[in-house]
Amino acid sequence: MNLSDLYQKGVSRRNFLVGAGAIGAASVLEGCSNDGTITTAPTSGVTDNDILNFALNLEYLEAEFFLHAATGSGLASADVSGTGTAGSVTGGSQVAGLTAQQQDYVNEIAYTEQQHVRFLRSALGSAAIARPAIDIVNSFNALASAAGIGASFNPYANWDSFLVGSFVFEDVGVTAYSGAAPLISAAGIAAGLLNYAAGIQAVEAYHAGSVRTFITARAIAGGSSYPYLGYANQVSTLRATLGGGNETPLTLPTSTSTPSSIVAANSSNAVGYARTTDQVLHIVYGTAGGAGVKSGAFFPAGLNGTISVTGS
Amino acid sequence: MANQETKVVDNIIASRRSLLVGGGAALAALALAKPASAAASVTSYTDNDILNFALNLEYLEANFYYLAAFGTTIDKANAASMAAGGPSAGIPITGTGTAGTVTVKANPKVPFKTVTVGSYATETAIEEGKHVLFLQSVLGSYGVAQPAIDLENSFNTLANAAGIAPTFDPFAADADFLIGAYIFEDVGVSAYHGAAPLISTTSSGKTILAAAVGIHAVEAYHAGLVRNSILALDPTGSLGLLGYTQKISATRSTLALQAPQSPANPLDPTPDDYGVSDGVFTVSLAGGANVPRTNVVDATTDYVLGFARSTTEVLNIVTGGGATTAGTPAKGVFFPSGLNGLFV
Repeated sequence: MNLSDLYQKGVSRRNFLVGAGAIGAASVLEGCSNDGTITTAPTSGVTDNDILNFALNLEYLEAEFFLHAATGSGLASADVSGTGTAGSVTGGSQVAGLTAQQQDYVNEIAYTEQQHVRFLRSALGSAAIARPAIDIVNSFNALASAAGIGASFNPYANWDSFLVGSFVFEDVGVTAYSGAAPLISAAGIAAGLLNYAAGIQAVEAYHAGSVRTFITARAIAGGSSYPYLGYANQVSTLRATLGGGNETPLTLPTSTSTPSSIVAANSSNAVGYARTTDQVLHIVYGTAGGAGVKSGAFFPAGLNGTISVTGS
Repeated sequence: MANQETKVVDNIIASRRSLLVGGGAALAALALAKPASAAASVTSYTDNDILNFALNLEYLEANFYYLAAFGTTIDKANAASMAAGGPSAGIPITGTGTAGTVTVKANPKVPFKTVTVGSYATETAIEEGKHVLFLQSVLGSYGVAQPAIDLENSFNTLANAAGIAPTFDPFAADADFLIGAYIFEDVGVSAYHGAAPLISTTSSGKTILAAAVGIHAVEAYHAGLVRNSILALDPTGSLGLLGYTQKISATRSTLALQAPQSPANPLDPTPDDYGVSDGVFTVSLAGGANVPRTNVVDATTDYVLGFARSTTEVLNIVTGGGATTAGTPAKGVFFPSGLNGLFV
């Protein structure tokens, strides 16, 4: 680990701990009504390409996490070039001890995110941003510490840890696309961009539903000795603190007539949450509310593109 | 645990038996004439008309899940639905258009054996009921009434057309319920997806779009839940469940693509639907060539984008190919008297 890595690790952890200190505020945020509309003013003055590039940053992150989990290595060099500041990936390794079917499932998600990167890059052409610096090891440790899970967390250690690692990302991706969809211009809609965004959003939600189902089913089978559902909910609480509420924790059903909590949605109307770009940035930067946050956690050098610094 | 596992196996065997009664059949059961399409003839519509189309589908889904989880239609509040978080009063089913009732077998409540599947049914019932209420609240007096819905003969017809069995009871057992749910969820995802770009770009339209993509996401969570659960119940396909999903997907695709979108939609390829599988698809990852993958997500195989369906395509699925004549309302299968609203 070089000095820069050490510095970033320190920054990430400090940022996450700031977030943890605001957990009291989370309970207030969770009480806020969210009827599926965006409650915080949407980012204004952004172009459709800015929105797609914002999404591309997130897809780079997901692709690197899931590709490493599947194979031990990340995106091909042909899939990471572009405008802005190119960065490297810190951490990531193949998940240990998987059954054949578990491996096939990890392969499916990895393929999904790799192809989403390729799709967005194709749609953006020469406007596509480069992959920024991504941290998928220290970020998880800082997150685990801030969430109260422990001093460190290795999402590549085994299947259950991988599920929690996946949980960190998938619900956020869904809310990010929900928030971005209404920002797309009329011309962009006519050009098919909303269609594409919804196509990616659906797949993110399929994965989110699948991951939450895996964890819930494992918890039902494992009972009180299965800690990972609790870890996932600690992550959810932290995300709520950082990202404006918009969270539905998992539950452990005890009978066929008690509802599970697979879907993350507003409990009053079952409409999925939408997050503003600022709320998403606060989550991936691991830093609680406020303007001017420009890096941290999963993106130690910040995102590339116009939407990279929080405005609130 | 042995007891629980025994129950699961019993459940699967019972379910398999009910699904395997009889042999395959043909798509001949359904009308498959190349259509001019009914909904495609709609050229002037409002955002509320789009929401009303969605409301028809939510009436269908909500009744299916309420009956499976609680044994009642959505307009009948009961202790079980209230205990699970449902509204204390029945969900209204009145509105514009022709009101209808639900056809279903006696005592449809599924005798769930597994906590997983039963709790999923309970959760989904509550959420689909809330979608009905939400759309009604947005639509106000413009909201459509619940049309006639068939949740008995419809499944027989579809199972027959898909080559699964002459009859199929989705309320018989856990596995049957999952297959029944499978029929709906991916369709709901593709319907909301296809409708999103039709919504106006006015300020009020943006609010409606935000809600629509939120519901779209929830349908996809449900779909992921159902598809994941089927794979978990039948990981190798030896119980036949994976094969059923593949046959249902193929049937949906055949029905939908009678009416491809115009102009051509790149998210509307042939086929536009893939069942649950493991090892059927191999893919190349940056770190490994030709590795097998599961297929939990229902999406294009190249860029992995969810499918979008036009209103006509959706009508063709839920009515079993009924949208075959321009200007003539589609009806049949799940909607024996057709849908209410403008997109019919």
